[in-house]
Amino acid sequence: MSNALLETVQSPASQSLPDWFQELQRASAEQYESLPNPTRRDESWRFANLKAFDLQDFAPARPFAKDAAADLLTRSTGVSDASGSLVFANDELIQATAQLPKGVVFLPLADALSTHGDLVKAHFMKEDPALGSLKFAALHRSSVKNGTFLYVPKGVQVEAPLQTFHWLAGAGQAVFPHTLVIAEEQSSVTLVDWYQSADSSAGLACGVNDLWVGKDASVRYVSFQDWSREVTCIQSNTTHVAAGGNATNLALHLGGKHARTESVSHLNGSGSRSDMLAVTVADNAQEFDQRTLQNHRAPHTSSDLLYKNALYDTAKTIFSGLIRVEPKAHETDAYQKVRNLLLSEEAEANSMPGLEILADQVRCSHGATTGEIDKEELFYMQARGIRTKDAYRLITFGFLNEVLERFPCNSIRETIQASLLARIAGH
Amino acid sequence: MSLIIRDLHARVAGGQKILNGLNLEIEKGRIHAVMGPNGSGKSTLSKVITGHPDYEIISGEILLDGKSLIGLEPDERARAGVFLAFQYPMEIPGVSNANFIRAALSARLAEGEELEATEYYAELYEKMDSLEIPRAFTARSVNEGFSGGEKKRNEVLQMAMLKPSYAILDETDSGLDIDALKIVSAGVNAQRGPGFGALVITHYQRLLDYITPDVVHVLVNGQIVRTGGPELALELEAKGYDWIREELAEPAAV
Amino acid sequence: MSTEVISQLEIDRTRGDFSYPEAHTFDAGIGLTHDTIDYIVDVKGEPDWIREFRHKALDVFLSKPMPTNWASQDLNNIIFEKIRYYLSNAQRPTRSWDEVPDDVKRTFERLGIPEQERKFLAGVEAQFDSEAVYSNMKKALGDQGVIFVGSTEGLKEYPEIFKKWFGKVIPTGDNKFSALNSAVFSGGSFIYVPPGVKLKHPLQAYFRINAENFGQFERTLIIADEGSEVMYMEGCTAPKFETATLHSAVVELVAMKGAKIQYVTVQNWSANVFNLVTKRAIAHEEAEVKWIDCNIGSRLTMKYPGVVLKGRKARGEVLSIALANNGQHQDTGAKMIHAADETTSNIISKSISIGQGRSTYRGLVHIPKHLKGCKNNTECDALLINSQSRTDTYPAITVRGSGNSVQHEASVSQVSAEQIFYMQQRGLTEAQAMSLSVNGFVNDLVREFPMEYSVELKRLIDLEMEGSVG
Repeated sequence: MSNALLETVQSPASQSLPDWFQELQRASAEQYESLPNPTRRDESWRFANLKAFDLQDFAPARPFAKDAAADLLTRSTGVSDASGSLVFANDELIQATAQLPKGVVFLPLADALSTHGDLVKAHFMKEDPALGSLKFAALHRSSVKNGTFLYVPKGVQVEAPLQTFHWLAGAGQAVFPHTLVIAEEQSSVTLVDWYQSADSSAGLACGVNDLWVGKDASVRYVSFQDWSREVTCIQSNTTHVAAGGNATNLALHLGGKHARTESVSHLNGSGSRSDMLAVTVADNAQEFDQRTLQNHRAPHTSSDLLYKNALYDTAKTIFSGLIRVEPKAHETDAYQKVRNLLLSEEAEANSMPGLEILADQVRCSHGATTGEIDKEELFYMQARGIRTKDAYRLITFGFLNEVLERFPCNSIRETIQASLLARIAGH
Repeated sequence: MSLIIRDLHARVAGGQKILNGLNLEIEKGRIHAVMGPNGSGKSTLSKVITGHPDYEIISGEILLDGKSLIGLEPDERARAGVFLAFQYPMEIPGVSNANFIRAALSARLAEGEELEATEYYAELYEKMDSLEIPRAFTARSVNEGFSGGEKKRNEVLQMAMLKPSYAILDETDSGLDIDALKIVSAGVNAQRGPGFGALVITHYQRLLDYITPDVVHVLVNGQIVRTGGPELALELEAKGYDWIREELAEPAAV
Repeated sequence: MSTEVISQLEIDRTRGDFSYPEAHTFDAGIGLTHDTIDYIVDVKGEPDWIREFRHKALDVFLSKPMPTNWASQDLNNIIFEKIRYYLSNAQRPTRSWDEVPDDVKRTFERLGIPEQERKFLAGVEAQFDSEAVYSNMKKALGDQGVIFVGSTEGLKEYPEIFKKWFGKVIPTGDNKFSALNSAVFSGGSFIYVPPGVKLKHPLQAYFRINAENFGQFERTLIIADEGSEVMYMEGCTAPKFETATLHSAVVELVAMKGAKIQYVTVQNWSANVFNLVTKRAIAHEEAEVKWIDCNIGSRLTMKYPGVVLKGRKARGEVLSIALANNGQHQDTGAKMIHAADETTSNIISKSISIGQGRSTYRGLVHIPKHLKGCKNNTECDALLINSQSRTDTYPAITVRGSGNSVQHEASVSQVSAEQIFYMQQRGLTEAQAMSLSVNGFVNDLVREFPMEYSVELKRLIDLEMEGSVG
C-alpha cells in the first residue's frame, strides 16, 4: 500500500485481532484512500485550514522504548482518587491498574477485542461522523490499535473516576487512541482521557471516543487534550444517550498545533440529556476547529452546550455548532452558547451557531459573543490593588472556570482548574 | 498624614468637564462626608482619585501622604492605600470571592512571600460573620447573583480584609434597607481609628446617622462650596440643596 | 435617441412563445444565449460598454455552479432554458397616472396603498415585467437636483454618476444570480440625491410580474450624496401561474459621508416565484443604511441584504420579517462587513413558519484585523406555528482582534396552545387568536417601520393566518 499511514493494516501485530475487525480495518483503509479530501466548499469545513490536515508526513507510531516508560508513568498523575488507570505510550499499554466493582470491565481495547468481542462489535463506531470527518473516521478505523474499553453492567455505580493516559512520543508518529464506554441501564461512571506528548516533537493524533449511555444511566467524560504544540489532532466524539440517560462531556483544548474536534450528542430516547462543555486556551499560532451537533431524535430530550475560548497572540478558533431537532422530537429543550474572549489584536474567532428545528413545542436558543476583557471588571480588580496582568489572568480564568463549574466531579474539576491556572499564568 | 486633593480639574475623557477646582483634605483618623445633588460630581471624584480610565485630569494634585497618585495605574493607587467601595460593584463570573480577596491580598505581599491560607480563612470568616455574610459566599463568584445589600456588604468585607489607609465609600447606603445599613455602618465604624481616614459620599443624610462624620462638605458643580460639622448634613436634609444653589448665585448677581 | 436606434433595427418581434393572453411588443424569446443579450441591448438602445458588461456577465453566470452546497436543492428546479428574459411593450414609462393601465391601478389598491395615499410619496415608479410603465416624481424634488428614473434611463441620461457606482457595490461575480442579473437586467430605479437634500417623503417602486415563464431582473442603484437622506420603498407581487417564475434583482446603495438611506421591501410574490435577490450597500463615514425587509410571498426567497461599513462611525442595520407558509422557503438574513473603526451594525430578524413552511436565517458578520471599537448585535427569533413547520439559523461571525464586540442571540418559540385557548375563551376564533399572537411576535419590529407599511404588513399577516390553522 502506498500510503504510509495505512501500514499497520498489514502489520504482524494485527494478525491476532478477530476476523471481523481485520476485515473492517482493510475495508476502512480502502475507504480512506478512496474518499476525497474535504474542501472548503463543504459547509462542515467552512473557515477550516485544510492544509493543516494534509497527513502525508506521518507514519504509525513505532513501538515505544520501554526504558522511557518509567518517566511517563511518573508523569501520569491525573486525578488522585482514580479507581483505575490505563497508560498507553504510542498506542501500546505500559501500565494498567484498577480496583473496580464486580462486573465492570476496564481493559485495553486490544484485549477487549478478544475477551468481549461481541460487545465491541455491537458498539464500535456504529454511526458515521455527521460533521465532516468521514475520511478521518475511516483512517482511524483502519489504523486503531488500542485504547480504552469500559463496560459498566446494569445498576452498577462506579463512584471514583477512571482515567486513561495517552502518550505520544517521537517525531512524525501517528497515534489512533480509541475510547469505547458502554454504560448499561441505571449505571453510573466517570472517565478521563489525558492526551499528552512525551516530548515537543510533531505528530498526529487521530482519535475517536464513543460513549453509549444506557437507559437511566449516567456518564461523565472528560477529554483533556494537551498534546505538544507541534501535533496535528483530529478527534471525533460521539455520545449516544438512551431514554432517561444523562451524559456530561467536558473537553479541554490546550495543546496541538491544529486541532479539529467534532462532538456529537445523539439524544435517542425520551428524557435523555446531554451537557456538552468545552474550554479552549489558544495561543501562539494555534488553531482550534470545533464542530458540534446536538441531535434530538426523541421527544422530551434536552441538551445544553457551553463552549468558551480564550485567544492570545495570533491564535484562531472556529466554532460551528448545530442544534437539530428531528420532526418527532417534540418538547425538546436545547441550548447552545459559545463565548470568545479575544486577548490580542491578532487573534481570530469564528462562530457559526446553528439551529435546525423541525419539531413543535421546543425551547431552543443559541448565543454567540466575541469580545475583550470588560474594562469595568478590570478597573474593579485594579481598584483592589490587583496588578493589571494578574487581573487579566484572573478574569480570563473566571471566564473559563464558569464552564468547569458545571462539571459535577470535584477532584477532576480541581485538577483541571490547576492546569488551567498554570496555562494562563504564562500570559 | 492625609489624602489631599488640591485644585482638581477633571473631565470625562475627551468630553464634559465635571470637577472644577476641587479642594479637600482627608486626615487619617477622621471621616469626611461629601454630599451633593445628582450630577454634582460626587461619583466622578471617587473615580478620578482611584484612576478610572474614563476620566482625565486637566490640572491639580492628588497627594497621598505627600506622594502624588496622578499617573499611577489604578492598582498602584489601591496598593498605595486607597480603597473604593463601589456604588455599583462589578460581577466577576467564575472567580470565587475567596480567591478574589486572596489575589488582592497577595498583590500586597513582597515578591516570594505567600499568604498563609489558614490565617487568611480564619480572618475572612471572622469578618464575614461580623458582617453577617454566609460562609457559602466564599465559593460564589464575586458579586454574581448577589442582592444589592449583599454586594454592599461584600464591599465592606473587602475593605476590612485589605485594611486601606483611606477609603472612599461611594453611595454605600444606596439600595440598603435599614438592617443592612446598620450592618454596613458597623463594618465601617470598626475600621475607625488613627490609621484610617474615609470619604463618605452620599446623597442623603441617613447614612450619617450611623457613620458620624467629623467634617461635612457640600459639592456643587464640581467644587466644594460649603464645609461644616455634622450639623450641615442635617441642615441639608431639612432644606434640600436649592438654598445653597441660590446662595451661590447671589454673588454673581452683585 | 434610443427610439431612433430601435426604429433603425430589424428586430424579430415574433420570436418567443405567444400562447399567453398578454402580447408583448418586445420579447427576447425563451432561453438565454449571447444572442439574447444582443437583442436586449438593441431593443433598449444601450451603449457599447453595457453590451460588453452584459456579455461578460453571461459568461460568469454560465461558469458559476449553483450554490446548492449550502443552499436549497430547490434551486435545481429552475430551468434557465425555459425562461423568457425580456418582455416589454415600450422602453419609456409614462409620467402621467391617467395613462397607466387599469390593472396597474388595481394592483396598487390590492397592495393596500390606494391612490389617495400616494400623496404621502415623493415619487412613484411601477414596473411591469421588464420595464417601468409609470415613473413620476414631485416636481420640487427635480428642482433640487434629485434624480428618480428607471435604470435604463439612468444609464443613458446620467452616465457620469451611473457608471461610477454601477456594479461597484455588487460585482458581477458576487454570486451566480448577481451575474445573471448583470447579464439581462432591465428596469429598476436609479436614484441620486444631491448633497444635503433630505427627502421628507419616501420614493416608492412597485414591481409586478405579469407574464408566465418569465424572469424579472430589475437593477436598482441609489446614491445618497453627502449629508442627504432618502427612503425608498418597494412592493412586489405576481399572479399565480402554473409554472415557476424567476425574480432576480440586484440592488446597490451608496451612502456618502453622513448620508442616510432607508430601503423598505414588502415582498409578496405569488408562491411559485423564485426570488433570488442580491442587495448590498456601502456606507461611508458616519453614514447610516437601514434595510427593512419583509418577505411574505414567493416559493423560495434567498436574500441577505448587506452593508459594507467602509467609513469611520458608519452604521448598518437590517430589520427582517419573514413568513413562510405551506410550500414556501424564506431563506433570508443579513451581511455586515465592517471595514472601518467604530462602525456599528444591528440585525434583528423575526421569522414565522406556518404549516409546512420553512424559514432560514443566514447571517454574516465580519470584523477584520486592526479595527477598533466595532460593534455588532444580532437577534434572531423564530416562531413555529405547526408541528410540520421548520426553522433554521446559520450565522457566521468572524472577529479578529480585541477591542471589538459582537453578540448574537437566537431563539425558537411556539404559540402556546394555552395562549390560543385563552383567547378563544374570550371569543376570538382560532385564526384570529393565532393572528394576534403572530402580530404580537413581530410587533416590536414592525413599530420601526414606516406607518403605511406596518398597516400593510399586519393585513398581510392576517391574510396568511386565515386557513393556516386546524
